[in-house]
Amino acid sequence: MVEPYIELDDVSFAYERCAPVIQALSLKLYKEQFTAITGPNGSGKTTLGKVMTGILRPQKGRVIICGKDSADMKLGEIGRRIGYLFQNPALQIFAPTVREEISFALELKGYSKEEIDSEISRSLKNFDLVHRSDAFPFKLSRGEKQRLAIAAMLVNKPDFLILDEPTTGLDMERRRVLSDILLGLKKKGIGMAVISHDRAFVACLADRTIRMYGGEIVEDRT
Amino acid sequence: MKTGLKGLDPRSKLVLVLCLSTLGVFIQDIGILTAVLCASIVLSAASGSRLFVLIKKFRRILWLFVAIAVIQSVFAPSGRALVNLGGIKLITAGGLYKGVAMVLRMSIVMVSATIMATSNSREIVQGLVQWKVPYEIAFMVSVAIRFLPLLTDEIKNVVTAVQLRGIELDRIPARQRLKVYSYLIMPVVSGAVIKSRELATTMETRAFRAYPKRTSYMVLTMNRNDYAVITTSLVISILTLYITH
Repeated sequence: MVEPYIELDDVSFAYERCAPVIQALSLKLYKEQFTAITGPNGSGKTTLGKVMTGILRPQKGRVIICGKDSADMKLGEIGRRIGYLFQNPALQIFAPTVREEISFALELKGYSKEEIDSEISRSLKNFDLVHRSDAFPFKLSRGEKQRLAIAAMLVNKPDFLILDEPTTGLDMERRRVLSDILLGLKKKGIGMAVISHDRAFVACLADRTIRMYGGEIVEDRT
Repeated sequence: MKTGLKGLDPRSKLVLVLCLSTLGVFIQDIGILTAVLCASIVLSAASGSRLFVLIKKFRRILWLFVAIAVIQSVFAPSGRALVNLGGIKLITAGGLYKGVAMVLRMSIVMVSATIMATSNSREIVQGLVQWKVPYEIAFMVSVAIRFLPLLTDEIKNVVTAVQLRGIELDRIPARQRLKVYSYLIMPVVSGAVIKSRELATTMETRAFRAYPKRTSYMVLTMNRNDYAVITTSLVISILTLYITH
């Protein structure tokens, strides 16, 4: 029996002084599956993603990541295992250049200069950011910020990715490129959960589709 | 309907806050400063502020308060030496007294400011406008109030983003941690510049300042409670300052 990578056990979450967004939700996500999480606006998809990543801590229930209760894990520890792409990628960009944005985590983790340079070159090429390598990230277009955020997340080599609306701001060609990259990662054994409205995008990638409504799972199709 | 301090006009709250912080700044005696801080806490709680949430949040930077008290004590030595290090008076009774006074002052300013937070920014702007403060300046005040939580959110987002790259902030060496914190400044500053540019454009598209006179749908009126609070605050503050100086 395959162990789930992320398991939510009777999880409820409400923002301060608001009605619950997620109610008594139980869910198992596997590394071997590409899971799409869909649903209308306000159905709790983004909140679910943030709860799974430990950005938001549930008021009730447990989130178990790789067999360990996330309540006992620091965000940095979760970040080593799970890569999370924000709905608005500008929120996770903070370095003064595109190059530094990609190299940030590698430098802090003590990688050699050669390793860092090679990783930067590969990422810039894969995400078509070579011509913007010395640009100020805040001046990038929405699509470029999206690609940069994904590139910076992937150099960290996470085991599992949670992508919140990854196709927002991407044209048809970039969506195809992103789709190819995600398929490549899937083949490498990286688990994925994609929160998206883009049915066409997830339809050709997902092994499993979860539909949410009013903070609850109303459909779970494999 | 809001009653008591909760229902006060924002102008009355502003006078109350100004009186408390003025007392905090000018009074030197620790006993009176403590009394002013206690009064600020009671008034803040009575106005319905989220004071205890704030106190809970500030627990994390309690060390900063202690550090300020110690630094103040070290750099303004006077009186009997309490801690000596190699012949140097590290902490003195007078210095410590000044340090504690400084912490009390900061607490008074912060606690009293929470009273203003019980009015929304629109009400504060309207209060200032009715006090004949030019609308542009009143509007700037409201934008500053509105932007503060956004800046806090931005800092939180960057800290979250850094941690999500697998960095445990409390486990990396101090020098590297300092470098990480330097990364906080840029997104916050550039975010503020971008937002202010967008706000300026939005205001112009809505014909801000297109006409010399503005009318307001919201008009604030002061009642007896407001006049009582303003008069009492001013009288007590002037008397306290007169007696203590």
